Amino acid sequence: MTTTLPDTTSQNLRRQVSRSRATWPAWGWSLIGVIGVWLCIIAVSSGSPLQPLNQALTLAPYLVLVALGQMLVITLGPGNIDVSVGAIISMTAYVSVAISSSMGPAAGIAAATGAGVAAAACSVIAILVLRVPPIIATLATSLIVASATLLLADANRSGAAPALRDFVNARVAGIPVIAILVALVTVAVAFALRRTTFGLAVIATGQSFKAAGKAGIRVAFVTAVVYLLSGAFAGLAGALLAAFISPSTVLGTSYMLDSIAVVVIGGTLIAGGRPVPIGLWTGAMFFVLLSGLLNLVGWSVGAQNILKGVLVVLVVVISSTATKTGRSTWRRLLEGRRTSTPITKEKTHG
Amino acid sequence: MSTSAPNTAVSYPSPNVVAQPTIRATAVSKSYGNTHALNGVDLEVLSGEILGLVGHNGAGKSTLMRLLAGRERPDAGTVRFRDLPVDHSWTGPAAEAAGVRMVYQELALCSDLTVTENAWLSDRRKSSGVGWRRRAERRIIDVLDTVFPGHGIAVIERAGDLPMAQRQMVEIARALCTENLRLLILDEPTESLGVDAADQLYAHLGTLTERGVSVLLISHRMHEVIAHSHRIAVMKDGRVVSVTQAEVTEDELLVAMGGEVRPDAATLDRVVSAESAGPSADTADRSGTRVAAVANSGATQFEAYSGEIIGLAGLAGQGQEELLQKLWAPGTFSRATQVPRHRAYVPGDRQTSGILPLWSVAENLTIAASRAISRFGFVNTRLKRELADHWVSTLKVRGGAKAPITALSGGNQQKVLIARAFAANAELVLLDDPFRGVDVATKNELYALMKAEAALGRSIVWYSTENKEMAHCDRVYVFRAGRIVSELRGSTITEERIIADSFDDRTGEVR
Repeated sequence: MTTTLPDTTSQNLRRQVSRSRATWPAWGWSLIGVIGVWLCIIAVSSGSPLQPLNQALTLAPYLVLVALGQMLVITLGPGNIDVSVGAIISMTAYVSVAISSSMGPAAGIAAATGAGVAAAACSVIAILVLRVPPIIATLATSLIVASATLLLADANRSGAAPALRDFVNARVAGIPVIAILVALVTVAVAFALRRTTFGLAVIATGQSFKAAGKAGIRVAFVTAVVYLLSGAFAGLAGALLAAFISPSTVLGTSYMLDSIAVVVIGGTLIAGGRPVPIGLWTGAMFFVLLSGLLNLVGWSVGAQNILKGVLVVLVVVISSTATKTGRSTWRRLLEGRRTSTPITKEKTHG
Repeated sequence: MSTSAPNTAVSYPSPNVVAQPTIRATAVSKSYGNTHALNGVDLEVLSGEILGLVGHNGAGKSTLMRLLAGRERPDAGTVRFRDLPVDHSWTGPAAEAAGVRMVYQELALCSDLTVTENAWLSDRRKSSGVGWRRRAERRIIDVLDTVFPGHGIAVIERAGDLPMAQRQMVEIARALCTENLRLLILDEPTESLGVDAADQLYAHLGTLTERGVSVLLISHRMHEVIAHSHRIAVMKDGRVVSVTQAEVTEDELLVAMGGEVRPDAATLDRVVSAESAGPSADTADRSGTRVAAVANSGATQFEAYSGEIIGLAGLAGQGQEELLQKLWAPGTFSRATQVPRHRAYVPGDRQTSGILPLWSVAENLTIAASRAISRFGFVNTRLKRELADHWVSTLKVRGGAKAPITALSGGNQQKVLIARAFAANAELVLLDDPFRGVDVATKNELYALMKAEAALGRSIVWYSTENKEMAHCDRVYVFRAGRIVSELRGSTITEERIIADSFDDRTGEVR
């Protein structure tokens, strides 16, 4: 029997596991980024060092809210992505304004969230029933939603309810209330992912939907709920942004790519199966601070976007190399040069 | 034995001694993290011989094989091929150019390419330019016809559409397409092949060795290794512990591997005592009720009663997997199939549809057990840990509950998957040829576990390509051409009877 070795082996494995967990969290890189950019801002601007952080905290919660849904979708595994969040935000901003002017702000927020879920339902039907790849399905949804936005924009020209406006600008001890609430939502999502059967099912599906199916997980149900949740988060963010900024047809446009970038920068595995909710905050703060810094030094929006794009790629490559999660392209390239083995072969039995 | 390799200048008087090693590994070591896969292994494969390589899962066979094929570099020691200088870097392309070919245990065909295209991929030297497809097609057809006469494979089919056995044939055949073949490494080549095809393969290996080709044969099927190898190397815990001439018995090999020859009574005791104290003991009184049935499944209707182990036998790919699929996911409106609400499935293809690679053993083990460890959708961490620890200690999973699942050897991963199915507390447990590439000791433990679980009132449906395993079943359904052709009970379950029923009585043909 095989009883001679296991004890030492298991101890070694355990030590290895705990060591790697203790030394480097997946969101560590983005935290370094946050601190780095913050120090840069302090260096180039005068004023209180806490000022830029405080400012970022007023903008980041909306991004985090959208990214929460995006993270869940990306965690579902390869190919899963929701590119409709931007369009949904623009639409639900109008929905929230229209409903809250007649029925009150609470109803407005609820209606916006519901509209987000309804839009996501289109994606879900396309993905699960019609078997369209998620990126195409959500793209189609965003086209539909964009048309609805134009109709809504023509029909109403009012602004957000004053009560809602006060709410999104409220602060407790200098910290925006909205940041605290979104932080609570983040904690709830993090808890759900670790400690509920549904959360575990999402993560299992992301690692291998075949294996998850064979383990008795209803993969289609999980997929549907996750996309609906992403729609709901985007819808909620739209309602809040309507009050924070004001409804416009391009209100959500930047959130589509930014939400994906924040998820990736925060350490969530782009291949699925490993969500990192805390990383959404470090990622969003990094993004918002970076925009602030670049504005400060006078970069144009176009140049900022180029830098953001480069950063996303760099973060993915560096973090996966450093934390040895999966085989990044970079690592594969390095190995490929050393042994000059074609990449395809590495994959087939790796 | 002939010594007709071109470079062999010296010939020895004794016919059993072959002149020159084709490949020689000297004191090679390899570690993955803190796991020492190989610990100073010396091995040489002589030209024109079949060297059998046996050992338990995790003994280091696959690692050694990858080093010999140049897929990975050893941490220490050297791999030397024929006359190449010692410092020559032995890489994948170098090995390929030298005529080393490897057939993988986990099939490495691209499932979206046709058989022809797959063959071309692994051997594209001269087929560039116009007409490569036709030339590749001719080559693969030639080899398939030579090695597996009557294979019935259409080379224009996508590899993913072929049944397991035919994919395995293609995998072997494409390795043989090479013209300058010097060393063929086979990892469990016959696990998915039928008896006929396996015989054909071994016959062809014989003719290859006469031409001076060396073969390294890795297999858990002891009788095949003994019958066809010239020498047999036994590995244990990352070392080659003995190299013997082929005149050994199966039992001697098993002892050398450090395994037990007898069925594992200790595990049985452990499982029974642990389980009878546990909460699931109350399922025992349900024994005898019908839990599953499939109408229209053949001459005899498929039925499963609680407390039974039911075997699905026959040649590979005759409809056994389809039946399992029907039992696992009968569809909402299917009236022909009766299944219990709680089912569990153990896939045979553990790499793609078994393990969840980013998780630990404990998480992998408990993912299907939500009923046992959660209330209203919330997972109770304490129950989860207890459940995982219980199964890890019962099955002695190496590495413990917290180890990442990918750090485990194939056999231990399979233990975890089977534990997952039983931990799910299902009434019907479906096993899809789960013991492919699992060593004898582990198998014995798992057989014992299955018996103990069946005794608790579960119904176990088990498909296996190895007829010998069917002796562990209470009843066996034999499949042919998608239908159940016979039902065997108790003492009538013998290998001979299964083989006889697997073939058509009149023609002896499969289809």
